[in-house]
Amino acid sequence: MSTELIVVGLSHHTAPLSIRERVAMREDEVPQVLAELARSVDLPEAVLISTCNRVELVAASREPQRVGERFTQLFDARTNPEKIDRCVYRHIGQDAANHLFRVAAGLDSMVLGEPQILGQVKTAFNLANNIGLVGTLLRRCFDRSFKIAKRVRTETEVAVGNVSVSSIACELAEKIFGSLQGRRILLVGAGKMSEVAARSLTARGASLYVVNRSAERAESLAKACGGTPRPLEALATELAEADVVISSTAKDGFVITHELMQGVCKLRRWKPLFIIDIAVPRDVDPRVDSLRNVFVYDMDDLQKVSRENLAARERALGDAEQILAQELADFERWRRSQQLTPTIVALREHVRSTLRSELEKALPRLTNLPEAHEKALRSMCEAMTNQLLHSPLTALKQADNGEIVAAVQQLFSLRVDEQPASAAEEAQASAEATATPELAAVRRSAHES
Amino acid sequence: MGMTVATFAMAATCYVVTTALFFLHLFRGGESQARWASLSMAAAAVAQAGFVASLLWVEHHPLFASIDETLALGSLLVAVAYLATMRRHRLTVLGAFIAPVCFLMLLGAGVDARVARVSHEVRNALLPLHIGVNILGIAAFALAFAVAVAYMIQEQRLRQRKLSGIFQRLPALDVLDSMGLRLVTIGFPLFTIGMLTGSVWAVRAGNGSVTFSPGQGFAVLSWLFFAVVLLARAAAGWRGRRAAMGTVLGFLCAMAALVGYAVRGVGAS
Repeated sequence: MSTELIVVGLSHHTAPLSIRERVAMREDEVPQVLAELARSVDLPEAVLISTCNRVELVAASREPQRVGERFTQLFDARTNPEKIDRCVYRHIGQDAANHLFRVAAGLDSMVLGEPQILGQVKTAFNLANNIGLVGTLLRRCFDRSFKIAKRVRTETEVAVGNVSVSSIACELAEKIFGSLQGRRILLVGAGKMSEVAARSLTARGASLYVVNRSAERAESLAKACGGTPRPLEALATELAEADVVISSTAKDGFVITHELMQGVCKLRRWKPLFIIDIAVPRDVDPRVDSLRNVFVYDMDDLQKVSRENLAARERALGDAEQILAQELADFERWRRSQQLTPTIVALREHVRSTLRSELEKALPRLTNLPEAHEKALRSMCEAMTNQLLHSPLTALKQADNGEIVAAVQQLFSLRVDEQPASAAEEAQASAEATATPELAAVRRSAHES
Repeated sequence: MGMTVATFAMAATCYVVTTALFFLHLFRGGESQARWASLSMAAAAVAQAGFVASLLWVEHHPLFASIDETLALGSLLVAVAYLATMRRHRLTVLGAFIAPVCFLMLLGAGVDARVARVSHEVRNALLPLHIGVNILGIAAFALAFAVAVAYMIQEQRLRQRKLSGIFQRLPALDVLDSMGLRLVTIGFPLFTIGMLTGSVWAVRAGNGSVTFSPGQGFAVLSWLFFAVVLLARAAAGWRGRRAAMGTVLGFLCAMAALVGYAVRGVGAS
């Protein structure tokens, strides 16, 4: 039986968080889990991807069904006594490759097109590679998945635009100021969501100042985020200095009024100011948005942007699917040639050895044969091999199922090595299968000399 | 004549292709269009260099003697300055606005401008200086114009909460604002020298009497717009949309001045 690609696992599509959190594996557990699996089934190649949204084994094996069963048992052991068969999916062959490509490109993610999954897949691949569990098939398959992810990100709109409030806030700030390095962020109020957004902004090199009614809360938040607390009375002064303001107080009525901002704008000489108002009810007078070089985004605006970005990503899904289909077809062509190579090598060897053995039998009967003539006969054997095999090999290469390959193996009683051919053999077999008999003969004699 | 026409047609075609590719990139995304557009812009610059060389050495047009050479050189300078600076500042996408400007200037250069050619009697040492610094100034203003247009589009999208598509691909507002200021700051002194030398030359050419033309009027208006952009920014913190608007108006007036000269003829001014 030939080596098949298999993906077995569960994800947010099939399993609730209560199950995913029980089967999720830490990075340091992965080698042990893979070693345990390899002891009980044929598992020459395996990569284990474990994130908060999915746990999947991508493997190459001659017994894919058994790998699936064994990995599911491993899940069962972790969720015991609950059986999770219904949550586990298995993809074999082309479906497995298709699934991996979708995962790496973020097309199977909870948030369509999210980029983190590619990094997680790369980490899982490197981990398996370091412990020697990556061979020709998985390397080719993962390399292809990285390429597809890159193409999807650069050639389609699937990954364009953020969808979380804090990422949108960061993206907008960067679209106003360029780099946020050295910019001043002012937090007005100390809500949880504003803290998340502020952390994202400070991670990009901005400095943080916190103004809050409660001085203690301002101090603790500033300390937690590496910022500086300021008294509420300093609001106007801080507004005059800030580049980005995130407001989220629980106060009724506007904290940042139109009148206050008119004065502040003069003080700051109309430098651009981005205000993110995530308080409900709003902290910032909507008229502030009409002031020169002041941009105010409230919760409704941010959520609208999020919805639009998500819709844009979904609209671009068709383009991404096209890329995926092209790459999958290309990968399948390689895969078929990979499965075909050992048969081609064995068939060629079979025909060549038959002809040579007949020649060896005939040579003693040909007395006084000059050396040049003997050489010519040997070359003729080579040429006959190529001539005889040209059409069958071309037909084999063009066959789009394994039946012809199996028939050839049976007809000629070929003992095909199931290990993938080496790169050199593969290249040679591939070249010979497509070359004319004459060209193949020249290549063969050059190779032998 | 054949080479001049061929290089002119090649440069014009390349500018049209560049504009189309950049607009495709702006509105539909895709990095390959941007790459091809940059290459097409480079090809346009090479073809245009051939056009200018052909004008000067094949057709023996005197340098700095007419509006067509001025426009051809100006357009070439804009393209070269764009290729030399914008990639470094990751502003390649602004080619979408710069390529059409180059194309229009090139078209102006293609107009039979014999009416505008300066007679030997009125040419003197000041004229090359006047035209030379004006070309440099206008090249800087053309780039500033493209940056300002991008700023106004980007600001409008931000105000209207339309943050997909073109918004994603244009640079940040502050980057555009700073770049615009830098370009106007470079162009303004050159343009001022051009204005002064032009005035002196016009007085000399007219033997002491000066006739006022629409071209001169637009040139003065253009100078005033750029002066206001720089002064108001320093004195009253003018930046962003107002500065961008001033830059756009200033550049349009500069272009109108060139058209005015071309129609009326430099010799007559």
